[in-house]
Amino acid sequence: MSAENQQLVNVVIDGKAIQAPPSLSVIQALWHAGYPRVKGVGCLEGVCGSCRVLVRREGQEKVGMELGCQTLVEEGMQVLFLVFPNPTHHHYELGEIKNSWDVQAEFHRIFPEANSCRHCGGCYSACPKNINVELGVKLAGEGRFREAGELFVECIMCNLCMTGCPEAIAPNHVGLFARRVTAYFHARPSNLIHRLELLRKGELEVDCNSPGSQPDNAAN
Amino acid sequence: MTVSNGTPYSEALSAYQASAARPLKPAGDDTQTLLEQYHPDYRADTLDTIKVGPNSGDRCHRQLAELLQADARIDEADLAGAPVVKTDVLVIGGGGAGCAAALVARQAGAEVILATKLRLGDSNTVMAEGGIQASIEKSDTPQMHFDDTLKAGHFNAERELVAAMVKDGPDVIRWLIQQGMQFDLDEFGDLLTRRAGGTSANRVCYYRDYTGLEMMRVLREAVQNSDIDVWDYSPAVELLANESGHCAGAVLSNLKNCSYVQVVAKTVIIATGGIGRMHLNGFPTSNHFGATGDGLILAYRLGAKLRELDSFQYHPTGLAWPQHLAGSLITEGVRSAGTWLLNGHGERFIDELLPRDVVAAAILRECAEGRGITIEDGVCGVWLDTPGLELRNPGILQQRFPKLLNLGKKAGIDPSRSPLLIYPTLHYQNGGVVIDANGATTVPGLYCVGEASGGIHGKNRIMGNALLEIISFGRRAGEHAAAQRHNKGHKQVGLEHLSRLRRELTISGMPMERKSPMLFPDCAKFDDDADYDGLRRHRRNKVTQE
Repeated sequence: MSAENQQLVNVVIDGKAIQAPPSLSVIQALWHAGYPRVKGVGCLEGVCGSCRVLVRREGQEKVGMELGCQTLVEEGMQVLFLVFPNPTHHHYELGEIKNSWDVQAEFHRIFPEANSCRHCGGCYSACPKNINVELGVKLAGEGRFREAGELFVECIMCNLCMTGCPEAIAPNHVGLFARRVTAYFHARPSNLIHRLELLRKGELEVDCNSPGSQPDNAAN
Repeated sequence: MTVSNGTPYSEALSAYQASAARPLKPAGDDTQTLLEQYHPDYRADTLDTIKVGPNSGDRCHRQLAELLQADARIDEADLAGAPVVKTDVLVIGGGGAGCAAALVARQAGAEVILATKLRLGDSNTVMAEGGIQASIEKSDTPQMHFDDTLKAGHFNAERELVAAMVKDGPDVIRWLIQQGMQFDLDEFGDLLTRRAGGTSANRVCYYRDYTGLEMMRVLREAVQNSDIDVWDYSPAVELLANESGHCAGAVLSNLKNCSYVQVVAKTVIIATGGIGRMHLNGFPTSNHFGATGDGLILAYRLGAKLRELDSFQYHPTGLAWPQHLAGSLITEGVRSAGTWLLNGHGERFIDELLPRDVVAAAILRECAEGRGITIEDGVCGVWLDTPGLELRNPGILQQRFPKLLNLGKKAGIDPSRSPLLIYPTLHYQNGGVVIDANGATTVPGLYCVGEASGGIHGKNRIMGNALLEIISFGRRAGEHAAAQRHNKGHKQVGLEHLSRLRRELTISGMPMERKSPMLFPDCAKFDDDADYDGLRRHRRNKVTQE
């Protein structure tokens, strides 16, 4: 089915009544109807977290948070773009943590609110990737950073969980902290280290005119 | 593709059956003939010769040539009242290359402003799935990495740049781990690697099929937790030059309060990424919303030389169907894990791990010669045989390609049961601004890194070299640019180079109506957006819309 011969649906996006084919995303529908849209548009593949929208579907009271590039328009849908920035108020540099035994203490210094979780589920229900955000925060608080980080594999840092948290925990940044310390302190791949050592000793030089890089020799 | 004589989708789907073994059809044409007949770069009707600027006489894709030879969006009058901010290093672009350059420049002690058109991290980096190349396996050497890169690029790459990059490879991975980036490791904690098409060893390090996402969120967090001054929604609309014609900063358009700001800097690093949203030859693209080639235009106007302006990468496996996802990328990792490509007759028609340009050309050939699979509106493609992969390696999709499964969910297709219809998608700009091993362009004070730069990939790029390049050259440029902060300041800073540009455009009889850089794709109607009056006011010959 092409966009032209589909049954159109009626949606309201940022207060604008729009008719669009149901095969289009919220952003595509806005463009399709001829409205400009620059802010809150990013990768258009659901991994950059730019296009956060509030969505209410026909007949439902609940307002959900979703991604505008991933949400297809439906009859009677109401959509509002959330373009405000919400940077985290936490600040840390991995280099400040001198010892891997100190990570848990440093975590609580950097994220003092993380222990104040009320288990309201606000973060979880806001997450467009269905990450168990609340559990992630709990695990990080217990110092189980590797486990916590695993929960945030698909996190796109859209910050919607921050918006949903009444205690200002910034759960996505907690998740990313958990992931970063895991790599920073525990990833020591021996194949990489061995290669770096050989390079350091000058045993792996590159010949810019190598036989393998000549057109005549390289033919399969 | 406007070809109707293929196998209809529903017919092909009901005839399809996952199979454990399929022989490869013997190749009919040699690769050079295949490329010349079917690769979009070789279509003579889309090429133009440049008339104005440092690349005069060179062949260039017509759509890009139009923007390179268009008028500027601003002139001296627009700078009256525009505040001046001073810094050591101005980085333009907030993807992986820009972040790496900014982090290293700041680490070296320079004051850094990072300006980005959208938000920090909104980039092609975040979408990269396949991985990052670094020769770390016993069976591999930097020399083999060098040879593979040269060969895949049809020997057009700059050897000195490639050598620098492949030697950086392992240290780039270490640097990323030190920023807090995770990679997939084996039971002993060693880095896992996989093989890229057109290469001779397992060399691609990865994190699931989220390598770019993992890299970008870590780099973004590192930048935000540093003293780098990040300006989002601030596209550069023009570079500034000093009395000697050296780069001296840039004019940024602040989309939040609709005004121009002049950032005067000792050095400028362009890291603006690619051109997919120009939709060359009408192809769909896998690129980010902001990939409109702005950096090429800005650098060219200041006199920087460009290269390989007629060479672009069409990634073989873009999703062709459904329509709302057309152009979305399916990582080469899926093919390197052993997935086959099948035509409308269920035949394998090309070695799936040949270089990307060859595989893309082969897909275009199948479609053009009636062996594709067609669906309405002339949409044509071939199968990506994911069920066959799953049959031979049960559980592999769930384990290694979660992003592909998500794409399937959005498309309403289960890739473990049904093959996906794919067609080449405009993916990467192989050429770009000429640089040296420090990322410096031919204009003093101006650096260029990442996809916007040229010379590293020749005329075709292999998987995983893009993520390596952005960090390798991002770090190199950041360090070198930071070291220039002790130079004495510019005496006079302005837009003198635009007078020269306009004179040359007029002499060459170029139309002056078109403005560049493009900044945003046409569909977003940026120049008509009432939210952004700042730029609209300065647009010449604009048809007023109420």
